[in-house]
Amino acid sequence: MTVDAARQVQATDHPTNPANRPASVDQTFTDFDGVAYHLESPSKAGPLTLSMDIRCWSELVQAGAMDVLQREYGSWLRSSVEPEYSVTLEFDFAKVPAPGPERDALIESVSLLKRNAMAAPFERAFALQKQLEQASEGGQPAAPGEIMPINYRDDEAIYVIPSADRVTVVFSTTFKEETDKVLGKVFLQEFVDARRQPSIQNAPQVLYSNREPPLEVRKVAGLNRGEDVGYVTFVLFPRHFANAEVMAGTISRIQLFRDYLHYHIKCSKAYMHSRMRHRVAEFLKVLNRAKPELAEKERKTASGRTFRRA
Amino acid sequence: MDASSRPAVVIDNGTGFTKMGFAGNVEPCFIIPTVVAVNDTLSSQSKSSNKGNWLAQHTAGVMADLDFYIGEEALSRSRASANYNLSYPIHNGQVENWDAMERFWQQCIFNYLRCDPEDHYFLLTESPLTAPENREYAGEIMFETFNIPGLYIAVQPVLALAAGYTTSKCEMTGVVVDVGDGATHVVPVADGYVIGSSIKSIPITGKDVTCFVQKLLKERGEFIPPEDSFEVVRKIKETYCYTCSDIVKEFNKHDREPSKFIKHWTGVKPKSGATYTCDIGYERFMGPEIFFSPEIYGSDFTTPLPAVIDKCIQSSPIDTRRALYKNIVLSGGSTMFKDFHRRLQRDLKKIVDTRVRAASSRLGPDVKSQPIEVNVANHPIQKYAVWFGGSVLASTAEFYTACHTKAEYEEYGASICRTNPVFKGMY
Repeated sequence: MTVDAARQVQATDHPTNPANRPASVDQTFTDFDGVAYHLESPSKAGPLTLSMDIRCWSELVQAGAMDVLQREYGSWLRSSVEPEYSVTLEFDFAKVPAPGPERDALIESVSLLKRNAMAAPFERAFALQKQLEQASEGGQPAAPGEIMPINYRDDEAIYVIPSADRVTVVFSTTFKEETDKVLGKVFLQEFVDARRQPSIQNAPQVLYSNREPPLEVRKVAGLNRGEDVGYVTFVLFPRHFANAEVMAGTISRIQLFRDYLHYHIKCSKAYMHSRMRHRVAEFLKVLNRAKPELAEKERKTASGRTFRRA
Repeated sequence: MDASSRPAVVIDNGTGFTKMGFAGNVEPCFIIPTVVAVNDTLSSQSKSSNKGNWLAQHTAGVMADLDFYIGEEALSRSRASANYNLSYPIHNGQVENWDAMERFWQQCIFNYLRCDPEDHYFLLTESPLTAPENREYAGEIMFETFNIPGLYIAVQPVLALAAGYTTSKCEMTGVVVDVGDGATHVVPVADGYVIGSSIKSIPITGKDVTCFVQKLLKERGEFIPPEDSFEVVRKIKETYCYTCSDIVKEFNKHDREPSKFIKHWTGVKPKSGATYTCDIGYERFMGPEIFFSPEIYGSDFTTPLPAVIDKCIQSSPIDTRRALYKNIVLSGGSTMFKDFHRRLQRDLKKIVDTRVRAASSRLGPDVKSQPIEVNVANHPIQKYAVWFGGSVLASTAEFYTACHTKAEYEEYGASICRTNPVFKGMY
C-alpha cells in the first residue's frame, strides 16, 4: 500500500472532511500478495483502527518485524490484535497531529505498513552481512549466514541469504498461464542481458534459472521443483544498502519485484492486444475495398426478348 | 490463494466517473473521472532522428505504451503539458475505444486498487442497451490480459435496485431513473430482468445542467475565469443547487428575501492567484428545473422527466405497471439535488391521477378502481447506488457460482460472457 493508497486512507480519514471533523468509516481492502486490510472507526469519537493480515507473519516476526514496526509506529501499535489479522494500529483522534506536513508524514508512514513489515528480514540480512564482513576481515572468508525463507504467497517464496561480501535474494516464481510463462521467461532473460548496457552497471546482478533452484538455496526444505517454476537471483552488493536512504529504496523495490514482473507481463499483453486491434482494423479496411465488380448480365424473358440490366 | 475467500472487486465504469472498490464496503475506494491521457509525441516521431539520443528514444519507445495517466492525474497532466492528449473511452455508457479502456483498467487494478487480479472475482457494469459483443470484448480483456478467475457483467439499473435492499424487503421490480453525467435512462426492471423495449432515454444529463448554469451566470455577467469555468460551475451546482416546487413562487421568494437565498462563491484565479467572488441566485433552482421543463434549455427536446417515466411505465407489460409505479428508484449523481424526489413524485402522481380520473369518469360510477400508488424512493447512497448494489451482490455467496469462470472461458470462448444470469442472492 503505497502513497497511492494512502489517498484512500486520507479520503476516509478526517483531513478531507470539510469541517475537519472525523467521520465514521469501515472499509476492507486488499493489497498485493494476498494482504488484507481493515480500516475501521466505529463512531465519530472512537479510535481509528487499521489492521493488516499477512500470510507469512510468523516468519516475519522471527526475522524481527516487531522491532521494525515498533521503531516506525511506536505508540500507535496496539498490543491486542484484531481477530483474524496479524497486526493492528490504533489512532486516537485527539493525539493525531493537526493537518499539515506532520500529518501527511504520518499518513505516508501508515500506508507503508506492509512494506515496513516485509522489510524486517532484509534489514536483518543487511546487518548480518556487515557482521560477517567484519568477521572475515582477518582473511578467512566466513560461511554464508542462514537462509531466511519468506513464504509470502501460496507457492512462491523469497529466500534471503547474507554472506560476507553480499546479500543474495532468490525469488521462486510460478506462472499459471501458458502465455504468462513464455512472456515471463523472455522478460527474465532480458533482465540478465540488460546489465551489459553501460548506464545500468550499478544495478544488482540478476541471474535466472528455470526449474532448478540455484546452489545457495538447495538445502532449504520444501522447495518447488515443478516444470513451471523459475528462480531469479538478485545479488545485492554493500553499495546497495550503504546508507539508510539507499537501503530503504532497495528494500522497497525488491519487495515488489514479483508484482512488478506480473504487472509488466500484463501490460505487454495489453500492448499486443492494441496492436492486434490496429491490425484487424487495417485488414477490415482492405476487405471493404475488395468488392466484386457488378457484372452486366444479359437476361432473357419468357418470350425470348433479351435485355440488359442497368 | 482462493479467490472466493477474498472480497470481489467491483468496478462501475460510467461515462463521466468510474467508481471502484471492494465488495462488502459501503462506499467505493476511488471515484475518478473516466479519462485517459496518452502521450502521443514519441510514437509519432520519425525513426531517423538524432542518433545520439538513440538510447533515450529507444527506452522511451519501449516504455511508450506505459506512458499514460488516468483520472484526476490525467486531467492535471494534460493541463500542465501539451504532450498528453485526453481521450474519453466511454460515450453514452458504451465503450468506444477498447485500447484506452484496457489501459484504464490496467491502471485501475494495479495502481489504484493495488490487487492481484488473479486473486479476485470481478464485477463489471454495463449500460442496459449495450450490444452483446461489447460484453464479449470486456470478457476477453479481463480473462486474457488480467487472468481473472471469474467475471460477472451486471446491468446498472438492476444494481441500483439492489442498492435499495433492506433486511426485510428485496424489491427486484421497479423503475430506475439513472441520471448520470453522460447519459440519462429510465429503465423498467421486472423480477431482475430489464424490459428492454420500454427503456427510454433523454438527452438531458448532469453535464447539461452544468452548461445551463454556466450560460445563465455568463449572461448575467458574473465573472468566472474561463480556463476552469466548467469545473467551477460544476462545484457550484453540486453545492448550491436545489429543486423547487414551483418556479414562479420561487422567483418571488428570491425577490422578496435576496439575502437568504443568494449565495456567494469565492474562488482563486489559477493564473494570477487572485481571489474572486460571484453571486448565485436564480441559477440555484433553474439548473435542476431543466429536467422538469426542458424547453428552457433547448428547443429540440421538450418532454419533462415525469412524463417520460409515465410513458415508459405505460409501455411496459400491463401486469407489472402497479409494481413499477410503487418502486421508482433514483440513481446517479445528478439526482442528488435537494427535493428532487419529492418534485418527481408530485408531478408523476398528478399525471397518473388525471388519467385515472378520466378513465373512471368514462366508465361510470359502478366501476371503482384502486388508486395507483406512486412512490419515488430516496436514500443517501444515490450518488453511487450502482456501485453499492454491486458491492451488496458481490458479497453474497451465490455471486461466486453465478460468475463465469476462467475454466469456462477457456472451454467455450468469449461468448459465455454474453449472458449473465440473475441469481438467487438478489432475492
